[in-house]
Amino acid sequence: MPRLTEPEEFEEIEIRSAADLLPLAWSADLPDYALDIRWSPDGTYLAALPSTGQPEIHHRQGNEVLALPSHRGGNGSLAWHPDGTTLATFGQDGILRLHHIATHTAREIQLPRGWAERCAWNADGSLIAAAVGKAVHIIDPHTLETLHLIDDHRSTVTDLAWHPTLLNQLATASDGGARMWRLGETKPHARIDDGIAAVLTTWSPDGRWVVTSDQTPSVHLFDMKKRTPLFIQGFETKIKALAWQTGGTKNLPWLALAGSPAITVWPCFGKNGPRGATPIQLYGHLKEVTTLDFPKEGPYLASGARDGFVLLWLPHHSNGPAFIAREENEITALRWSPDGLNLAYATNTGHLAIHSLTTKD
Amino acid sequence: MNTTKLPVTVLTGFLGSGKTTLLNRILTENHGLRIAVIENEFGEVGIDHELVINADEEIFEMNNGCICCTVRGDLIRIIGSLMKRRDQFDHILIETTGLADPGPVIQTFFVDDEMKDKLALNAIVTLVDARHIPLHLESSEEAVKQIAFADSILLNKTDLVTPAELHALEARIKAINGVAKLQRCQNANIPIDSVLDIGGFNLDRAIGIDPRFLDPEYPFEWGGILEVSAGTLTFEANENPDPSMTAVLIPVSATDEESLALAREIAVRAFSHDAIEASSGSALTADGTPYDLILQEGTMSWTCKIETTGPLAIFTQHYPEELDLKFLSQTGELQPAISASYKPDHSHDETVTSVGIQADGDCDEKKLNTWLSKLLRERGTDIYRMKGVFAIKGNPNRFIFQGVHMLLDPADGGPWGNKPRRTSLVFIGRDLDRAELNQSFRKCLA
Repeated sequence: MPRLTEPEEFEEIEIRSAADLLPLAWSADLPDYALDIRWSPDGTYLAALPSTGQPEIHHRQGNEVLALPSHRGGNGSLAWHPDGTTLATFGQDGILRLHHIATHTAREIQLPRGWAERCAWNADGSLIAAAVGKAVHIIDPHTLETLHLIDDHRSTVTDLAWHPTLLNQLATASDGGARMWRLGETKPHARIDDGIAAVLTTWSPDGRWVVTSDQTPSVHLFDMKKRTPLFIQGFETKIKALAWQTGGTKNLPWLALAGSPAITVWPCFGKNGPRGATPIQLYGHLKEVTTLDFPKEGPYLASGARDGFVLLWLPHHSNGPAFIAREENEITALRWSPDGLNLAYATNTGHLAIHSLTTKD
Repeated sequence: MNTTKLPVTVLTGFLGSGKTTLLNRILTENHGLRIAVIENEFGEVGIDHELVINADEEIFEMNNGCICCTVRGDLIRIIGSLMKRRDQFDHILIETTGLADPGPVIQTFFVDDEMKDKLALNAIVTLVDARHIPLHLESSEEAVKQIAFADSILLNKTDLVTPAELHALEARIKAINGVAKLQRCQNANIPIDSVLDIGGFNLDRAIGIDPRFLDPEYPFEWGGILEVSAGTLTFEANENPDPSMTAVLIPVSATDEESLALAREIAVRAFSHDAIEASSGSALTADGTPYDLILQEGTMSWTCKIETTGPLAIFTQHYPEELDLKFLSQTGELQPAISASYKPDHSHDETVTSVGIQADGDCDEKKLNTWLSKLLRERGTDIYRMKGVFAIKGNPNRFIFQGVHMLLDPADGGPWGNKPRRTSLVFIGRDLDRAELNQSFRKCLA
């Protein structure tokens, strides 16, 4: 694997302004550090999860807000049902709560005590997974019963990701790497396991790759098609942000990774994927990049960092970024709306801002 | 944006050492601090407190080239989460299980970028059960490591052992870790500041390695010469947590350094003999006899008949000010004409020990790097902790490092200014060869 290098002209990179193209539409303030923000699948709502206090659902126009009950001990995760009718929130109280948006009602299940890191729906929303401690509960959202319990993990499960289309497959991250599961089986059918502690995991939109970022400055990939692992190292720091590009260029997908001020974008198509490839390297942030996102169908990579900058990139055309906004505080979450016309970001002080495209170009 | 680093204290101690008692006190006492406590998974803190978080003590191997580098993954996750809360804390206190090796906790703060950036490891505080620790030290490697890694050692339950046992235990602890601050207490009753405000694992502490750590060791902490007149000399003391203190009186010929040094050697031999118990009101003799002055409640006194006027050397196991010891003649209180403090001795039968090195002048940077790299590569698993302040040739500033196993955290310690350029370093670890470490280091001098 190639080692990453900083360009000599790093400090002289010119940053163009795209603030006119993507001006601020509205903003709001959450009660605490923004852990995550998620657009509903049709883009009507933006859900925002503060670390403590009430999660909020904002209408895309910014004129309506619905505050949801908070989780005692801190909020953990949120996930939209694929049909957009229900938002799941999960927290350190071990409660998985399903909020029905139209009726403003909620149902909940109390899971066992343990560190509650992530909840996620499968592709059609027939199941929701919640990671508590060393176990993952696969729950029927109608009956709120745990249908499957996946508890063969060496340590606390730090992340999980469903297969993008197969309804009964998911990947979990914990000490030792990632494990890929088929529901109903007691042992994983594949695993990335070379002793590294995995922190985040994601499944590529085409279902070919399972990727983990690790406690060390490294990333592991597993090619589900060839059943082979791949290891990328040489990063300056631990990777904290991952994003898949699924539109806007011919060969897809690409994987953007960041943890230091540098962003790298790796080809994940073709026979070998990133094996032997030289990544696109993007320099412009002054401090560690914390969040990345591509729109569903476009080429624009948005990034947020501890320097407070929100930047826009066209990785396949230019190494130079365009400026969207600068906050006084660290950007902690950033998401394109499903139609790619709105970019939402939030900060470690809970400031939430939405920028909207003035044209479709 | 708040850029101040949040202080973290790690509380260790073998089973039954009093950690839970201390934690409960910290959580209930009115000290004005917001303290988040990360308790071990079997924690027994008996109060419902919103800032108490249970941890699983999940230890990960880092696979980062350091073969002994393990970290606490749960701490990275929990502290990361705590740092994302608006209701920020003044302090984080991490309690480990009684059987835990503190190494992975400390290494977590060395290797995780975010933790290094946002947190300052204030101190490793180890609680020790004075009654049972001798057994634990024989049977448990973790108990030894908990002492070896400590910045501060709270010797608890001192009321359950005899004075002799206590002194022997202190000597044994100091043999393992010669640089930690050692405090006695009962029922974990110690000022909270002693636990939270130590600054033990920071650079100031590294700079402030006790120079006496490198000195020879003696069975007494203080010695001095008084000009006494024929008649009665009275020793007066106030109550002290120590049940007794050994002292010896030796007539000398003058009140100078040489006389004190000669008397010191006589006193060393005297302290090796069994001491005579002397309760308050007893008479002492000024002939080199060692006495155990029995310390009780209130004010105590002892007398000594002085036959001829002249200088008299006195050596005491502890500093006179510790028990407000006064020397009284018929005309009033006497002050020593000359005095000195001495580094107390340790037993040397421990596998885990401290080795201190000190050298005047500059080190050659290249030679030093080579030496340290080789040392850590070959002995990193046995070296638990290191602290050092180096004078590097051509560098006007101090070069400071602290380390855990193979991990080093170097830093600029600021200018030497007018202070003499001198290198001081301390190793705490297993099977350390004092002579070999000294010799090999001295080859790094410029």
